[in-house]
Amino acid sequence: MAQAPDRSTGALDYLVVRKIYGNKAPQSGSDETGDKMAQATGDGPKSNGILGPVPVLIPLAIFIWSLSFIGPVSNGEVVRLSYDWVPSLGISLSFLIDGLSLTFTLLISGIGALVMLYSNTYLAGHPQYGRFMLYLTSFMLAMLGLVLADNLISLFVFWELTTITSYLLIGFDNESAKSRRSALQALLLTGAGALALLAGLIILGVAAGTFEISEILAKGDEIRAHALYLPILILVLAGAFTKSAQFPFHFWLPNAMAAPTPVSAFLHSATMVKAGVYLMARLHPALSGTDVWMWTLTIFGAVTAVFASVLAFRQTDLKQVLAYTTLMALGTLTLFLAFDSGYAITAFTTFLITHSLYKAALFLMVGCIDHGTGTREADILGGLGRIMPFTAAAAALAALSMAGIPPFIGFIAKELMYAGAVEAATSPVFVASMALAANALMFAVAGIVAFKPFWRPGQPTPVEPHEAPWPMLAGPIILAVLGLIVGIAPGLIQGTLVTPTVAALLGSADEAKELKLWAGVNLPLFLSLGTFAIGFVLYVFHQPLRRTLAAIDARAPNFDRGWDRVLDGLKALAEFQTRLIQSGVLRRYIFITFATLFAAIGTTLYLRTDLPDLEGIEVLAPKQWAVVALIIAGTISVVLTRSRITAIAALGVVGIAVALIFIMYGAPDVAITQLLVETLVVVLVAIAMLSLPFLDKPGRHDHRPLDAVLALGVGTVTTITMLLVLQQPIDLRLTEYFEQTSWPEAFGRNIVNVILVDFRALDTFGEIAVVVVAALSAYALLRTTAKEAQ
Amino acid sequence: MIAQDLTIVLPEIILAVYAMLALLGAVYTLKDGAASLVLWITSAMLVIMAAWIGLSGQGTQIAFNGMFIDDGFSRFAKVVILLSSAAILLMGHEYMAKHDLLRFEYPILVVFAAIGMMVMVSAGDLIALYMGLELQSLSLYVVAALRRDSAKSTEAGLKYFVLGALSSGLLLYGASLTYGYAGTTLFSGIIETATAGEMSLGLIFGLVFLMAGLAFKVSAAPFHMWTPDVYEGSPTPVTAFFATAPKVAAMALFARVVHDAFGGAVGDWQQIIAFLSVLSMFLGAIAAIGQSNIKRLMAYSSIAHMGFALMGLAAGTAFGVQAMLIYMSIYVAMNIGTFAFILSMEKDGQPVSDIASLQMYSRREPAKALAMLVLMFSLAGVPPLVGFFGKLYVLRAAYEAGLGWLAVAGVIASVIGAFYYLRIVYYMYFGEETEELDKGTSPVLWGFLMASAAVMVFGVINLFGIESVAQAAAATLVN
Repeated sequence: MAQAPDRSTGALDYLVVRKIYGNKAPQSGSDETGDKMAQATGDGPKSNGILGPVPVLIPLAIFIWSLSFIGPVSNGEVVRLSYDWVPSLGISLSFLIDGLSLTFTLLISGIGALVMLYSNTYLAGHPQYGRFMLYLTSFMLAMLGLVLADNLISLFVFWELTTITSYLLIGFDNESAKSRRSALQALLLTGAGALALLAGLIILGVAAGTFEISEILAKGDEIRAHALYLPILILVLAGAFTKSAQFPFHFWLPNAMAAPTPVSAFLHSATMVKAGVYLMARLHPALSGTDVWMWTLTIFGAVTAVFASVLAFRQTDLKQVLAYTTLMALGTLTLFLAFDSGYAITAFTTFLITHSLYKAALFLMVGCIDHGTGTREADILGGLGRIMPFTAAAAALAALSMAGIPPFIGFIAKELMYAGAVEAATSPVFVASMALAANALMFAVAGIVAFKPFWRPGQPTPVEPHEAPWPMLAGPIILAVLGLIVGIAPGLIQGTLVTPTVAALLGSADEAKELKLWAGVNLPLFLSLGTFAIGFVLYVFHQPLRRTLAAIDARAPNFDRGWDRVLDGLKALAEFQTRLIQSGVLRRYIFITFATLFAAIGTTLYLRTDLPDLEGIEVLAPKQWAVVALIIAGTISVVLTRSRITAIAALGVVGIAVALIFIMYGAPDVAITQLLVETLVVVLVAIAMLSLPFLDKPGRHDHRPLDAVLALGVGTVTTITMLLVLQQPIDLRLTEYFEQTSWPEAFGRNIVNVILVDFRALDTFGEIAVVVVAALSAYALLRTTAKEAQ
Repeated sequence: MIAQDLTIVLPEIILAVYAMLALLGAVYTLKDGAASLVLWITSAMLVIMAAWIGLSGQGTQIAFNGMFIDDGFSRFAKVVILLSSAAILLMGHEYMAKHDLLRFEYPILVVFAAIGMMVMVSAGDLIALYMGLELQSLSLYVVAALRRDSAKSTEAGLKYFVLGALSSGLLLYGASLTYGYAGTTLFSGIIETATAGEMSLGLIFGLVFLMAGLAFKVSAAPFHMWTPDVYEGSPTPVTAFFATAPKVAAMALFARVVHDAFGGAVGDWQQIIAFLSVLSMFLGAIAAIGQSNIKRLMAYSSIAHMGFALMGLAAGTAFGVQAMLIYMSIYVAMNIGTFAFILSMEKDGQPVSDIASLQMYSRREPAKALAMLVLMFSLAGVPPLVGFFGKLYVLRAAYEAGLGWLAVAGVIASVIGAFYYLRIVYYMYFGEETEELDKGTSPVLWGFLMASAAVMVFGVINLFGIESVAQAAAATLVN
């Protein structure tokens, strides 16, 4: 076990983890990516007690129940169930069973049952088995909800539930830093995509006027013509592409292989990663048919498929090889969803089913090898055919289907793909050559995964090889044999699954093409033969080719490392802004507050008005100039002095100058109030400051120029504001009222006095009471302090 | 006339009289020995008042010539304020007692703050607004500095006071400008002037200053700087209080001012609120990433959440106010549970707020870790938990009001924000073994934590019917 202790304990240590491990991933050997549960169970009989096999019954029951819908669905019926959830937001919990959702339901529950049966042995005696099964079952139910949902928001809710359960399952081995990192990476990446999806779904719902998917699908033309079609498409595809790991969001999927093998088989191959594909298929009737749709899906799908096939070829860990071939399959599925011809969609449906069957089988088979030998390194493994005959048989059957060899269903799927590609309206050569490249590489990969470990000589393995027990073999064998059966008798899935699915996407069952092993001598057949030839050559020369690829790959930009850079950048930004804004220094907080105020007033001034009209302002008389000079002198002394007492005295000068202004404009009563208040404030503050300790060190002053600039700025905008505001007509109703009523009603000519003692007598009384109470408490405080001082 | 007015403000009067009696009673009898008793009675009083206001109030009543409004909106906010205050008092009891902070003034100050908040949400006049706001603020300044022997707590109190006084000054300046140009302090009078033709420049500047002051109270960026320092420095129960009731009150007051006083001039304030909202969401989301102290982290979390609530307000519609009310209720419910958990974080009897101390917590306390996981996912807005529906409401409100860009910004901010909530979950489930936190939790904290988590899970069924109540409340404010 290669788990070095994770020593980083900083605030962000889960970002730092990759510095220890990340650069090796994902090409490192299986010693680190391996599931240690697999090896731990090699010795001695262990079981999970009574809990063990029970979870299997849940998917089994759902599978059998779903089978009962095959009849109605193959007759073209659509079953719908609904329950109001949050009616004021238009959210209902409604479900829709048609060909597409039924196909997915059967795959999820069927493979789910086999995977759970497998896990019961694979994780036998594991202390966290209960937790594992809880997560796995929750995931399966969420996934079923996703494919059955008929409401955009409830679909999204299930979508996120699959993300969370996937997070818990990838990080299941919580002692490994690598699986923790991978879990988080998958969660953040698919979570980010999901939020884009949410935005897309909300806009789609608002644009269509309903959140019910079945109603939206009927409004395809309306949506495609809608002004917001492009934003909807981009946002929805962002969600689908991250979930289904399309290039350039692909890198989380190979990392997610840190999960236990049954999880990889179930979530990251057969079901969850197909959620994005499902969504695109589900919304195909509403969104497809435009050039943007076609080109986006074609390019992303094709690039993903070829890119992933090349990388798959480059891996040595069997599980990583399969992870990249899964990427290839997802790319291919996306590619064929770009079109709306009968062949393309029939190819899509057939390949969807085919891939789930063989890929789940191969993953489980790799788990068997890992369990039986203790390694998954393709370079080490060999000669297992005699020791593990059943595993070898299952591997062979599944791989033949993957390589597309007749009479397996893989062959039919491949033929349909070529037919679909040739039929593609705009770019048949591009699509066909992409498909050819990907399929040829698949052929070679099939040989690496399922032929070499069993029938070629190898090296000694960490554990003496032994055959896997039957509950682990049941899954791969059943799935692989199914691939053969439906290949020989494609009619089994034609009417029940393929045709209804095509009907769900294209609106008519007539569009579905026939699945047949022998379609006559045609272009697809020649392409198939070409595939085999190229694939065989690639397999023979795979080791030198792999070395070349590894050399190129080492120099190419690495998305995984790029992801880490993004996270590091985010962290650096967080630290930067904290240093800048949240320094803990009160002065800087006040600076920011005033700066904001300056910006707010400045913007309002700029947007709302011209500069104030200065012509109406009268020229100052000499005595007024004197007062202004007094105010300016006072302010300057406040700013420049270092003595607190001088500062407060200078501030008093400003206040007294203001009182002088009141006197000049004929308001002696106000002036007296101002004078009294000013004197009192100066005296009180001076007393308080005298009792404060003196600070010997004058603080740093390098912030003062900036402070001065801000002070001038705020002062300027405030002055402009005052000038502007004063030029507005003020509401004089109250003034007029008091002017008119003070003599007749209160017999007083001094309006201020009349207001204080007559009109607002009760207020004045209240104010006096407050002053008295304040004085009393001040006295009480001083007395206590004096006592303590003694 | 007076009698009728007094009946309308009876809950506030009863609480105020109770608080003063309790203050005098405790001073002359047992002093701090009576603190526990006062705390329990206070909590009971708050719950009773909440029940009374929630169950009895009907229609819209106006007291003191329009200065005080008792309508569905204010009752909704009051019930949330009173219940969360009571919950915080109960949750903090053990903590305060254990760390020798249980002064009898503490529950009484909380009541005074609550009365201030009740006046704020019912204010129909600038004077009433200012009175409520200052009663609340002055009480909060004191409780922030409750731990007098700690430099951090004192510093927090002082910073809060200085910046709070500054913001009150801005608000008063705005209020006087508004008064000067509307000729009245009554909201009903201001709205008449504001909607008659184009707003005068004086009113616009009054509005700008008023909103700057209010933004400080809801701790919206860029007026948020006090929040992390005060959250960290205050005793944890006080932090929990800061994170709940005052936020609801300030947000409700914000809604009250913009709709009751400036309702016709949506265009004039919509952009300001949208700006505050975007800035708060992003700042809260990004700044929290670097935090290792869970209290500071919750401070940034609250800034980000206020950004989302403001998004509802920015919509300027009844649906927007409804979304804001639902968002705030959910936010308070989540925060009560989260702080119940933080209060229970102790090592060797001493409170711990370092996030790294939570490593592998799920092994030792699976139930609590699971509850915290639910709360964190809900705070992050991960469906199908209740927190998601809060976000959905405000996003939808903003989108429908034509603020599509704001909704998009909100989505991006919530992706970034999810990051740090997940970090806590990550530590609890996938960390390294570390020095252990103390085991065992008081039944009160445990109960609040579990109840809050359960609300997040079971609330998804129908949000406990809060939708229609909030809708009715919003309808009384916006018409």
